[in-house]
Amino acid sequence: MSDQGLRVTNLHAGVAGNEILKGIDLTIEPGKVHALMGPNGSGKSTLAFSLAGHPLYQVTQGSATLDGEELLGLSADKRARAGLFLSFQYPAAIPGVKVANFLHAARQAVRPGDLTPSKFRAMLFEKMDSLGMDPTFMGRYLNDGFSGGEKKRLEMLQLAVLAPKYAILDETDSGLDVDALKDVGESVAALRASAEGQQAGFLIITHYPRILQHITADVVHVMIDGRIVKTGGAELANLIEREGYDAIREESGAVA
Amino acid sequence: MPNALEDRLLSGAARAAARERFAATPSGRERPGRYWKVDLDALDLDLSTFSPDAGSVRIENPHPRAIVCELRAAAAEHGALLARAFGVTGAAETKFGALATAFAGLGAFVYVPADAACDEPIVITYSVPAGAAVFPSTIVLLERGARATVLERFEGGDGAFVCGTVEVVASERAHATLASLQTLAEDARILTTRTAKPHRDATVAFATADLGASLAAGEVKVSIEHPGARAEISTLFFPRGNQHVDIVSTVDHRVGQSTSDTVVKSAATDRGQARYLGNIRIAAHAQGSDASLRDDALLLSKNAHIDSVPALEIAANDVKAFHGATVGALDLDAIFYIESRGIPRGAAERMVTLAFFEPAIERFPTEGLREELRAALAAKLP
Repeated sequence: MSDQGLRVTNLHAGVAGNEILKGIDLTIEPGKVHALMGPNGSGKSTLAFSLAGHPLYQVTQGSATLDGEELLGLSADKRARAGLFLSFQYPAAIPGVKVANFLHAARQAVRPGDLTPSKFRAMLFEKMDSLGMDPTFMGRYLNDGFSGGEKKRLEMLQLAVLAPKYAILDETDSGLDVDALKDVGESVAALRASAEGQQAGFLIITHYPRILQHITADVVHVMIDGRIVKTGGAELANLIEREGYDAIREESGAVA
Repeated sequence: MPNALEDRLLSGAARAAARERFAATPSGRERPGRYWKVDLDALDLDLSTFSPDAGSVRIENPHPRAIVCELRAAAAEHGALLARAFGVTGAAETKFGALATAFAGLGAFVYVPADAACDEPIVITYSVPAGAAVFPSTIVLLERGARATVLERFEGGDGAFVCGTVEVVASERAHATLASLQTLAEDARILTTRTAKPHRDATVAFATADLGASLAAGEVKVSIEHPGARAEISTLFFPRGNQHVDIVSTVDHRVGQSTSDTVVKSAATDRGQARYLGNIRIAAHAQGSDASLRDDALLLSKNAHIDSVPALEIAANDVKAFHGATVGALDLDAIFYIESRGIPRGAAERMVTLAFFEPAIERFPTEGLREELRAALAAKLP
């Protein structure tokens, strides 16, 4: 079907009247992995927050549809229920909300009543086990006092538990050591291998190409100054690895 | 001995003296101002209509090894035991403690013998008739190594006035937990004074929740006079509408090698007003004291107001003293994070607000009571 996918068309968005995204066109097909690369400040996180519905980010033009459903104008919770997931670069700490209760509330919100509490628990422990997470995680408060690696693991656990149609991973690799990076790669692979996640599409936002050694991207985009200036295959990531963003910046004629 | 309380512990002269002390003692509370509208030194009270025996008390779950009875029965049957706790922890020294003492009569006495443990809460429920003025006293005496958990409840009270005391004497190594859940009608007024003296290596834990009443003014004071003693104070309140809550807690470390831990979580919405004053005093010779005071306030509407003042007076130099206080609004990043997981905004706000109270809720006894607190707090949210 032609309207399948997370389709972003001519998206302009910004914060407090400053335009940051200057016309983004991007389609993530079901089952595909797209990487979005770019230097700091190029607008990658703005794209993630604009798609997820953060109230501080204003979309001024364009559209974003998820399997045909327009997301812009929907509240963040409705976008999530439509099948969108954002893995945060800096997940909020919420003392007083226990991980287990939060995951259950989130699963209930996204897929109401599809699992009995005992089946949910069984699923949760299986996913935690595969992520190498200690069961004591469940009784801790959400991201409260978590190390950087623990926060990212919890994001990956939520990805597994919510099994979205489309997942945006915003710099999930930042601050991670090689082992944790491998775990992120395995989390994405595990979801893609699961019955719920076979058709999931991914937008992997990253500054560094190294995450792409653990997740093979079908398509790589490079964003500079709020525009996607180059799109290619995995070889584009290798080019950035060797030469940095300057070559692409010059080639595209973008203002430094 | 129908008048055993008067004959043994509270003569007419003692009542008259308490009444005079009430009149002469300043409340010590701030004057009314831009936000706070109630003058605690000029409450509209007609003492000529007050009597010691209004209201009723219901006692549930008495422990077989403990003595748990109404105050007047305790005076008649266990006068010598009652005398070891009644009026000995200083409750009558405060303005409203003096008023409560002047009209004391309704109440309950809990006595736990040495090394007995009453961990299932003994529940003392004060039912307050509409329009009444009631003066409940809860007196707790624990012998060496005894443990007890007591839950006080205050219910009813359309337009009522409640002025009560709690006094706790915990002997060596004893552990007393005094929880209180106040859900009076929203036009009632309640003034409480809770005082305790833990002996060597004893712990006294107060956990109070003020959710009802138009005016709730509470004072909690633990005086630590023996090494190894510990005070825990946990307080939560949530004024909405025009409710006013004014809480003062004081831990007085008069000897060293003692610890205290105070946690206060408050929120206010609508035109709800609250004030909290947290006193920690460590005397000059109380070396090795360890005191912590954590006080956080959450404002949920622009007309709500909470004044929060930690007051530390530390005269010793070899102590640990922590205090932290915040006043703020809901964390929008937290709300967005929850929303991004599919949970609607209203539910996300309720989740964050209830979570905010959780560190105080956790310190209340029994999961059943904690669930009741969560539900009562949730019911106050828009």
